[in-house]
Amino acid sequence: MEINLQRLKALTRKEILQFLRDRRLLMLILGMPVLQLVLYGYAATLTVYHLPMAVVDQSNDTKSRQFIAAMVNSQYFDLTLRLDSQEELTHAIDLGQAKVGLMIPPRFATSVDKGDANILLYLDGTDSASVQSGYGAAALIAQNEATQLQAWKISHLPPNSTSDTLPVTALSRVLYNPNLIDIWFILPGLVGVVLQTLAITQAALIVVRDRELGTIEPILSTPARPIEILLSKVIPLLVLCFFALMLLVGIGVFWFGVPFRGNLLLYFLVALLFIFSSLGFGLLLSVRANTQMEATQYGMVFMLVGMLFSGFMYPLSNMPLPLQVFGSIFPVTYFIRISRSIFLKGVGLNFIWSDALVLAAYCVVIILVVSRVFKQRLD
Amino acid sequence: MWIRLWTLIQKELIQLLRDRRTLILVMVGSAIEVFLFSAAVHTDVKNIAMVVADQSRTTASRQYLDAFTTSGTFDIIGDVSGEQAVVDAIDSGQANIGIIIPPDFSDQLEQGRATVMMLLDGSSSYTTQSAYNAANSISQQYAVSLIGQQASSPLMLHTQILYNPDLIDLWFVLPALMIFIMQALSMNFTSLCVVRERELGTIEAILVTPIRPLEFMIAKSIPQLLVSFTTGIVFFIEAVFILGIPFLGSALLLVVVSLIGILCGLGLGLVISTAVQTQNQSYQLSGLINVSAMFLGGIFYPSYTLPIVLRWLGYIFPSTYLVPIVRGMFLKGISPLDLWPQTLAMILLMIGTFAIAARLFRQSLD
Repeated sequence: MEINLQRLKALTRKEILQFLRDRRLLMLILGMPVLQLVLYGYAATLTVYHLPMAVVDQSNDTKSRQFIAAMVNSQYFDLTLRLDSQEELTHAIDLGQAKVGLMIPPRFATSVDKGDANILLYLDGTDSASVQSGYGAAALIAQNEATQLQAWKISHLPPNSTSDTLPVTALSRVLYNPNLIDIWFILPGLVGVVLQTLAITQAALIVVRDRELGTIEPILSTPARPIEILLSKVIPLLVLCFFALMLLVGIGVFWFGVPFRGNLLLYFLVALLFIFSSLGFGLLLSVRANTQMEATQYGMVFMLVGMLFSGFMYPLSNMPLPLQVFGSIFPVTYFIRISRSIFLKGVGLNFIWSDALVLAAYCVVIILVVSRVFKQRLD
Repeated sequence: MWIRLWTLIQKELIQLLRDRRTLILVMVGSAIEVFLFSAAVHTDVKNIAMVVADQSRTTASRQYLDAFTTSGTFDIIGDVSGEQAVVDAIDSGQANIGIIIPPDFSDQLEQGRATVMMLLDGSSSYTTQSAYNAANSISQQYAVSLIGQQASSPLMLHTQILYNPDLIDLWFVLPALMIFIMQALSMNFTSLCVVRERELGTIEAILVTPIRPLEFMIAKSIPQLLVSFTTGIVFFIEAVFILGIPFLGSALLLVVVSLIGILCGLGLGLVISTAVQTQNQSYQLSGLINVSAMFLGGIFYPSYTLPIVLRWLGYIFPSTYLVPIVRGMFLKGISPLDLWPQTLAMILLMIGTFAIAARLFRQSLD
């Protein structure tokens, strides 16, 4: 596996020129990380506020109004409709005019005093956002009101804040992300998902394209060896992916204010290992795929797998064991763990060495496998 | 004209069938996606790893901790000495939450002012949110039980979740995923097929024949319509008959609205194809559009939570209209006519994209 550096340089130059010529493609490729950041930063929230709520208030007394006000003040619910009966309420949810329905029965204030008040909450079960956020928020508000009433009844103190009257107070502190800002959680994982998709599909597409258009033959007839041809294709992509990485981190840190607490140099080094192993995956795919269309299909599968089984969206520890094993095939799973640790926790190599070692091993294995497979395929 | 169109469609179908591997990949890939999603999607979090620094070691502190273990939400995985050890456990990722109980906990408790400290791992989203809510609620309940003994709560909230009483995540996810797959396939594939001819140069051969741009466009769309529609059917069968998701609406009307949705996707695909020159560009552009559709087209996130400008952008995706209709048909048993504004908007979108595509297409070919 000797490499002639001069030949490699010439080949790499050709690939870079080819890349730079297709400006539109470059813009589309680099547009992806930017678009995803903007969408995650501005469009996606894990908690949904301002759910449209329809209310049937059959008491209309101070206590019921107080409860509705507590719901609205929480910012989770917007009072959009006032209705008169339960049928109207379900109908409004049927048509999607409201996602949440609140029904307060007659004589609410009296029953609160007696201590047997009931409130009915309807949630639109077809809409996960409404259910998850709405259910949690409403339950918490009701519990708070109830706790205040109860504490007040027992201690005969004015119903102010519960923490003064309860015997145990839990102070909680969220480490690394004290205000629970969504984009802080998302960015370190997003880096992994975007880079893996980019690296795998571009590596596969570029090799397959040469084959589909027949432009690979002239290169093969030169003295260049398969490994040199491969490296010349990988190097510009490595640079491109690294550029995308800096774009993601840069926009995340400077525009969205996500803190970077760890060692930047260490982060970039580990990221290079990760990008390199993903590019290797893409090259392996290019052996299987005959047409670019096929390669794009593989690319979509990898994007999905990267999102679902890397721990980016759903914690891996919650999945059945076979899926955890499946998830650990892909380099992105290790990189996301490292990325979160370095980015937000600011820990050093002593905490992440095992995951980093796996990525390094990946690179070695993939170089060996790819150069072997390619020799067979090209000869 | 009809004969010409028919021959062209035949050519496209043969071409599609010849590339078996891609075809199989599309079909099998989408079919497997259903199962992947059904296995991955679990938004409720159980057994969150917890470390404890119980510096009090009294009956009172053990009772307090029991409240956490019996809830099923937390697993106590270790007992450590102090705050620093808790932070270390969270730093290294062994635990997601830590509780520190001070040495004089039981004395404080008798005076009615005990304080415990909770530390949470803020670097992984789902676990943190759930852990935060659950831990606070457990602690509060414990405190109330101390003062009130068995006093019943004066205010009861009864929650009724309509259409999906057990809150099965898949019931939300799969109808939206079905639409996403049909939309993505119809859009990406149409664009790829057209651009492919351009990249490989085979489009020239077709252009010298008497075939008109419009005929070429229709012939390119029909095989994609078949592929997307078949994938949708496979998806539907898996969702309803294997994964047991209820479908209360009319299957015939679902076919009709799906076809309209696919046609919108085809139209968008044809528009995309006029803006790109290579398959790689087409793939990247479709990727951008698919990702936008996931966020802005009501597939992952409901569109009413979006800022107004982004909500407008969402209106170009058929899924914005199709997701409420199809979810309603699955779980609520409504008909598309109940949501006539959405249905109408989708039909207008279909006509609009095809008109634009036809226009751009003629320009790009000439």
